[in-house]
Amino acid sequence: MTGWLLDPHRMRQRAGWTPGRVTLAQMVALAAPVGVKLVEQGMPMASVLVAALIASLIWELAFAAIRGRSLTWHSAGTALIIAILVPPATPLWQVAMAASFGMVFGELVFGGRGYGIVSAAAAAAGFLVFSFSGAGLSGSSQALALATLPGAALLLLGGLVSWRVLVSVIAVLLVAGFMQDGTSGLPETFVAVAFGLVFLIGDPVAGASTQLGRWVFGVLAGLLIVVFDTMAGPDVATAAIVFASLLASLFAPLIDHFAVALIVRRRRIAHG
Amino acid sequence: MLPGFRTDQTVPLEQVIDDGMPVERIALLGADLPGLRPRLLCERGDRVQRGQPVFVDRAHPDIVFVAPVSGMVEQATLGPRRSLSALVIRAEPGSKEPGPVTVAASTATDVRTMLLAHGLWPGLLTRPYGRIPAPDSTPDAIFVTATADNPHAPDPRLALDGRNDMFRSGLKALALLIAGPVHVCQSPGADIAADLGDRIRGSFFPAGPASGLAGSHIHRLHPVGPQRMVWSIGYQDVAAIGALIETGIPDFTRIVSLTGPRASRPRLVRTFTGASLQDLTREEILPARDGSAAIILSGSPLAGRPASWLGRYHQQITLLSDAPARKETAGWGLLARFKRPPSRPGPIVPTAALEKMLGFDIPAVPFLRALSVGDAEAASRLGCLELVEEDLAAVSMVCTSGADYGRMLRHVLDELAEDA
Repeated sequence: MTGWLLDPHRMRQRAGWTPGRVTLAQMVALAAPVGVKLVEQGMPMASVLVAALIASLIWELAFAAIRGRSLTWHSAGTALIIAILVPPATPLWQVAMAASFGMVFGELVFGGRGYGIVSAAAAAAGFLVFSFSGAGLSGSSQALALATLPGAALLLLGGLVSWRVLVSVIAVLLVAGFMQDGTSGLPETFVAVAFGLVFLIGDPVAGASTQLGRWVFGVLAGLLIVVFDTMAGPDVATAAIVFASLLASLFAPLIDHFAVALIVRRRRIAHG
Repeated sequence: MLPGFRTDQTVPLEQVIDDGMPVERIALLGADLPGLRPRLLCERGDRVQRGQPVFVDRAHPDIVFVAPVSGMVEQATLGPRRSLSALVIRAEPGSKEPGPVTVAASTATDVRTMLLAHGLWPGLLTRPYGRIPAPDSTPDAIFVTATADNPHAPDPRLALDGRNDMFRSGLKALALLIAGPVHVCQSPGADIAADLGDRIRGSFFPAGPASGLAGSHIHRLHPVGPQRMVWSIGYQDVAAIGALIETGIPDFTRIVSLTGPRASRPRLVRTFTGASLQDLTREEILPARDGSAAIILSGSPLAGRPASWLGRYHQQITLLSDAPARKETAGWGLLARFKRPPSRPGPIVPTAALEKMLGFDIPAVPFLRALSVGDAEAASRLGCLELVEEDLAAVSMVCTSGADYGRMLRHVLDELAEDA
């Protein structure tokens, strides 16, 4: 299909989100967490970051060249998330392999950011855990959780993360944590999930896209975190969040299908 | 208005009606009548009088289109598939104006015949589909849109000032046409349709995004679907109906607002439907500081189209700056290969703005996806029959894809209309 674009004068007036601005906002939101991580872990973290960046950018360049499209730079944001999730001791070739898998099979084969079904960073982290024996994901720290907050606020304000998803995931974790060991462990749980919640489960293109669907999606993701969590006590394993995000994303189209069916039914009853 | 929009103007609109520049030429446009194939009743060089039929709809010969001014037919061209391109009339100010005619408007049949014969029928639009209604159809309700769809549109109460009796007599004529209600949708204030019987109802819509569009009024008061049809009509068309009944002289003047960042004196002007925008804005364009040319839109900055003629259903002219020509950025070596202008819509990132701008109790992302792939069945299930192009203008502006959803909707609606 050609000729479906807005005419040039309206294209210029567009003040809302463009793919470029979405990428930029995500990078800005990620700046603080990456900074904290660099300060905490120093050079090994920097080399992981560079390896992830190079691998993802190479793949994006390759796909852009083959398809004759312009670069979106979105892969840089994905690389930043991967660098935060991967422990600094991981061999760099494993980081590069994981980033390549995430970029290619998480989004590029589907046509790029916004066309895929899972979050590319979650796919990369999942690949790393599954493929290499002994490889794990780095846990969260209080500083990282705090650094996530301004970015989360920015994304929420811009409407790039749905508050419905965040609220329903947190509600499920609250209930589960409360049933396990009362209120004492709740702050620890939030520190553990904050980053993954905002940047993996909150990813708008991987989640459900109807308002009702977002509630269900959040509850499902929260339940999956509880089920996958291998850590004793209130702490949550990062891998649990990654796999909860992947699995919930796979169910998102199904959730949307039922949400749309409900809306259509309601419309039919209301409008005759 | 949407936050951060670059069409915000520096000079506020002055709600004062002015006569504006004299217009030499006016046109009846095919762009306003998509899908219509005309049978021309005049030729190039013919003299026509105001109110004289110039062409009829080939499919419904009862629907007559008349000349809004007296003058000479300068151009009558057909477009692709024998549709109308434009019929241009050069006004001749000294020519003989037609005398008043007596029109009967006391029964439903009289009103229908009168509207059809005097070229006022095309002021009505059906919903669903947004087309001129068939001459023998009857809707469940009629919606008179007397709201301003954005802060720079003319204030209907001011535009009707002095024509209130005609407006009310037009409303009474419309009420005769149908058994159902006539909703007069207005912004909050004094009811301009008070005391006209219980079938003519004033409804009030507070200012806000999309609250001035006929689509949102219809959605709130009488949602439409495959089996439920309503008509909508603009308040100036209702006043024109009233003017014909009261005076016997057809009136095709239109009060439009002349706005935009490049308008030297944003205000209301009185002109004709189809007026040449070149003539009308000849001395109204503010020179730009960077020397860029101005583009003239017929309609609002959101839903308008770059045009040389004022559209049949438009009440606003927007003057915007054209972007300066993009400098060729040669160099950058290899990276220049990866910098291309988009040639097709980008991805739809489900942001919160989509839901906020769409409204209509329609799930935004599934609906926009259905439109982008041209899935008429899914789009109709989700409620596309309630919409026309203008209702999707705001959502097109905030979507990441850069797609013109209005055009996609028209494609889907045409497909559905063919099956219906």
